[in-house]
Amino acid sequence: MAFKRIKFVTDSTCDIPANLVEKWGITVVPVFVNIGDESHADDGIQLNREDYYDRLPALNPLPTTSAPPPGIAAQMIEKAFEDADHLIIVALSPKLSATYDALRLGAGNLPPERVTLIDSGTMSIAMGYQVLIGAEIAVETGDVDQVVAAIARVRAHAKLAALINSLENLRRSGRVNFATAGFGALLQIKPIVTVNDGVVETIARVRTMSRAKEELVQMIRQQAPLDRLALLHTNNLEGVEWMREQLADILPEDTLTINVTTAIGTHIGPKCLAFVSVNKKWRN
Amino acid sequence: MAINIDQRVCNGHLLKWLISAGVTWLEYNREKVDRLNVFPVPDGDTGKNMLLTMRRAYEEIAKLDEGHVGIASQMIAQGALMGARGNSGVILSQLWKGFSLPLRGHEVFDAPLFARACASAVDLAYKAVVTPVEGTILTVARESMEAVINRAEHESDLRRLLEIMLESAQESLQRTPDLLPVLKKAGVVDSGGQGFVYLLEGMLHFLRGDSVIDETNIVTVESGESWQDALEPEDAEGYGYDVQFLMLGNDLNVAAIRAAIDDMGWSTLVVGDDRLIKVHVHVHDPGQPISYAIGLGVALDDIVVENMQRQYQDYVEERLNREHEPEANPMLNEVAIITVASGEGMQSLFKRDLQAASVISGGQTMNPSTQDFLTVIDSLSNEKIIILPNNKNIIMAAQQAASLARDKTVRVVASKSLPQGISAMLEYTNIAHSGDIDEVAAAMTEALDYVTACEVTTATRNVELDGVNIQQGQYIGLVNGQIVAADDDLMKLVHDTLREAGADERERITLYYGDDISASQAQAMSSHLAATFKRQEFEVMQGGQPLYPYIISVE
Repeated sequence: MAFKRIKFVTDSTCDIPANLVEKWGITVVPVFVNIGDESHADDGIQLNREDYYDRLPALNPLPTTSAPPPGIAAQMIEKAFEDADHLIIVALSPKLSATYDALRLGAGNLPPERVTLIDSGTMSIAMGYQVLIGAEIAVETGDVDQVVAAIARVRAHAKLAALINSLENLRRSGRVNFATAGFGALLQIKPIVTVNDGVVETIARVRTMSRAKEELVQMIRQQAPLDRLALLHTNNLEGVEWMREQLADILPEDTLTINVTTAIGTHIGPKCLAFVSVNKKWRN
Repeated sequence: MAINIDQRVCNGHLLKWLISAGVTWLEYNREKVDRLNVFPVPDGDTGKNMLLTMRRAYEEIAKLDEGHVGIASQMIAQGALMGARGNSGVILSQLWKGFSLPLRGHEVFDAPLFARACASAVDLAYKAVVTPVEGTILTVARESMEAVINRAEHESDLRRLLEIMLESAQESLQRTPDLLPVLKKAGVVDSGGQGFVYLLEGMLHFLRGDSVIDETNIVTVESGESWQDALEPEDAEGYGYDVQFLMLGNDLNVAAIRAAIDDMGWSTLVVGDDRLIKVHVHVHDPGQPISYAIGLGVALDDIVVENMQRQYQDYVEERLNREHEPEANPMLNEVAIITVASGEGMQSLFKRDLQAASVISGGQTMNPSTQDFLTVIDSLSNEKIIILPNNKNIIMAAQQAASLARDKTVRVVASKSLPQGISAMLEYTNIAHSGDIDEVAAAMTEALDYVTACEVTTATRNVELDGVNIQQGQYIGLVNGQIVAADDDLMKLVHDTLREAGADERERITLYYGDDISASQAQAMSSHLAATFKRQEFEVMQGGQPLYPYIISVE
């Protein structure tokens, strides 16, 4: 079978660092962050993340996010298609956002047999690793089926867990199913959540950041042996550094530190900590 | 057990039979009542309390052959008063007391006297409660008895009056969630009101000659019956439709219309005058009452038809969905927690937020006994139980109970303070899905050390303790049970205690304020402390505990 030039399209909630986006020639369609009357593309340029998370608690009303307009998605997708034999589009779970539909509509003018649309079932770099590893396999094999199979294996062996430092933003945004995060509790709770098949679920509830960090480190250890690891935060570099120290013995060489993209950060607020791991088993 | 009864009067013998039937039916349905219990606290004991109250009342007359209704009712009232348990039980005893007063000196009662007795019962019951809360057994009793009072003038058949009373009670019961928001939130009707309805139902079963269940062969209801079974409509055709409308006309005959409408369905309410009548009825065919009214040539207005079967199915579905969420129903956790706390805020925190199966009232000044623990252990359906004593003086009784409990696996997680207990419970909510009691106990034990517990109280005498000089009446501060500070000034004392607890190195300080402290005082305390402990997050919670102005958790 002929080697195919396979290109990847995803959306900006993938949290793939800019240098890797460039390296693999990935097309990232931006989600939009709306502050007051202004709409900003979540492209890592229009909004400086550090600055944004510093400002976020004082922003009233809370900024909102919106899926990319299908027109913009279509432009970017069609551009990517120009020098590709096949497009693989990996999108934020439709259970979490309308982005999936925007990308689906954006690919509407392309020959369907040359486009594969995949629901990542997750978000952030858990979705990003599906794209990155998919891109690696695509360069190695040039075979769509092998790439799609690898993405499915990555999905099965990836784990995402995030500490929500304060429920304030979730409450204000109304976006995430409150019941799952243990809302309604009298005591202030910091939930640790995960995403399973596009559904946000609470896996633990703690009271302090130090407990949360220990829980996350413990969870990461349970995911070893690690093929990939990303430590994510919303202006909580201190927390990431602490986790790096604790995990020195199992840390993969190319462990990423990511200040989460503003489209996600808007909903979870500042000072969060998270990780995404991919177990080595994905290779089998 | 059908006996020939003159239904125009009731003597002591009949009253005795009626009560026997009511108690039997209540007993049969007790668990359904318990499951509804969410107000004032969701502790699931209303059915039990009402049953104990009524059993004691019945015992008073059971062995006698008292035909004099005045005497019999007084004895019943006396027995109810002696046996009264819980809120609903006390109200029930007052209803009986009030009911018996107008009967004094009467051999039998007829419809008018029955009405007077009802009026007196309602009056006394409302007086007995300091702040009557509507949407409870009080409302159900009042509205059903008012129905009797309204109808007694024209209705001399006691059986019919009891039917009216029961229907009104059932309707009143359905309205309780509208009156008491907590019921609506919990998706239930009032438990005490439901118990009252069962009493009346039992009596009516007897009067109609239906078997109420042979009282010599009372079957204990299996605890396995689900709320779904409890809610199943008794009518094979389902719950049917709720139909309501207004009839506007001239020379309307209320009684005739009522009788006609009543023949079509149940829960009938036809009220009004010759120009305007409100009709409310439950039917299987909603077209029937509407066609009937139109057939009379009157104008109809404000027609409401609700599919009650559908509402019931929606409710079941919604509730099932809720229960499928892992945290929806604490009683579903395999490992149950029994804990000890005093103060409304504390108890509700343990019960509602933290999923404790049972919270025994107690603490520093009131230590629950081994027997208290054993009673609760027996009352839970769980096979695996963990006790959290929350006080070092209670740990031994808990351990003793654990060792004495038969047929159940009971562990003690030795929490010495309420903050430790809360910390352990929070961990419990994380791991409650596990059925492994040792795993749960280990995780909870580990969580005891996540917090430093500070307690603030007053000294009861002059003493030097742990190197601190204390004057009687001074505030004293304890950290993990050790006295670390004494002062006349509460703010300074709390401040010093927190310093001793190393709070400036921690993240979170939670103030649980006691029953003598107001919310604004607690807020002021929190603001004052925040000036010193700048990097810490503060939380202020109403604990409501006695004797301890503040219990503070430092995490």
